Amino acid sequence: MKWNKENLKQYVQAKEYVDTIVLPLMPFHLSQNAELEKSAFQREVLSIFLTEIEQELTGRIMLTPDYNYLKSTDKTTEVERINAWIEEITTQPFEHIFLITFDSTWKKHEESLNGHLLWLPGIQSGDLHSKEMHTFIHGQVEQISELIQSYW
Amino acid sequence: MSEEKQQVSRRTFLNYTLTGLGGFMAAGMLVPMLRMAVDPVLQTSGGGDFTNVGLAVDDITTEPQRVDWKIDQVDGWYESEVSKSAWVFKNDKNEIVAFSPVCKHLGCVVSWEGNEDYPNEFFCPCHNGRYYKDGTNVPHTPPLAPLDEYDQKIENGMLFLGKVRTREEAKPREEA
Ligand code: FES
Repeated sequence: MKWNKENLKQYVQAKEYVDTIVLPLMPFHLSQNAELEKSAFQREVLSIFLTEIEQELTGRIMLTPDYNYLKSTDKTTEVERINAWIEEITTQPFEHIFLITFDSTWKKHEESLNGHLLWLPGIQSGDLHSKEMHTFIHGQVEQISELIQSYW
Repeated sequence: MSEEKQQVSRRTFLNYTLTGLGGFMAAGMLVPMLRMAVDPVLQTSGGGDFTNVGLAVDDITTEPQRVDWKIDQVDGWYESEVSKSAWVFKNDKNEIVAFSPVCKHLGCVVSWEGNEDYPNEFFCPCHNGRYYKDGTNVPHTPPLAPLDEYDQKIENGMLFLGKVRTREEAKPREEA
C-alpha cells in the first residue's frame, strides 16, 4: 500500500493482512558538485524500485514516506531518529520492518537499527527508459520481493 | 481603363484570398489525417487503448507466461509510466487467455505455480490466495472473485491487450 488517502483507508479496514513496512532511507546533499547528478539519479532509481515492489506486494506491505537525511550527517544520531520512526510505526500491528537504501554507510550501523536493512548496490548511471534498464530493474525487484517473502 | 483594371484585380485578389483560405483550412484538416495514416508511432497506438505487449501469437503455449509492458497513465494530477503485466496462455479450447495478475483479495501480483505445493494453479504470495488455471478462485482462500481478464486482439500475428474486465463484464465466450 502507498502512503495516500485511498490506501490508508483500505489499510484501516484490512490491518490484519498488512504486516510489513518498507521504509526508504534517502540521502540528500547539495555540497559536492561532482556527486550531485549521481545521487539524484540514485534517488530516482530507488523510487522506481519502491513503486515496483509496492505494486508486486501491495496487499501485504505498506510503503512509508521517505526518510530523508543529509549525506554527511552523523549516522548515530540518525539511527536514533529512525528507531523513533519504527517505534511509532509499531504502534500498529506491523511485524516486519524493512529499511531499504542505496547508501552503504548504513551497513556499519545495521545492528543498532530496529529493522531489516536491505542495502542494494546502487546503479551509477544509465538511461531509466531504456529496455536494458527495465529488464535490470525487473530482475532486481523480483529478487527483493522474494527476499521479503522469505521473512513471511 | 485603369479603374476597371483595378476592380478586376481586386476581385481576383479576393478570389485568391478565399481559395487560399479554403486551401489552408483543407490542409489543416489533412495534415493530422495524413499523420495518422503515416506516422508509425501513432499507428501502433491507433487501435484505441490496445498495446502491443511484444508477444507473438505463435509463441503462446498452454503454459501461462508472464508478459510485462509499460503504459503512460494520466491519473488526475500525475502523469506516470505504469507497469502492466498479464499471464497469457491457450486454454483447452485453444483460445488465448490473458489474465490480469492482480489478486482479487488485496491486489498483490499472482504467479503461475508460484508455490510448489499447489501445482497447476495461480498463487498469491501475500496471503496464500489461489486460483485454478481458468482463473476461478479456490474456495477457502482469501480471494472472493476470479482473476480479471484483458480485452485482446491480434494484429500481424502479435498480441495486443486492452482494458481489464472482471469475469462478469467480460464477453461470455462462445460455447463450442
Ligand atoms: S492479496 Fe492475494 S491473497 Fe491477499
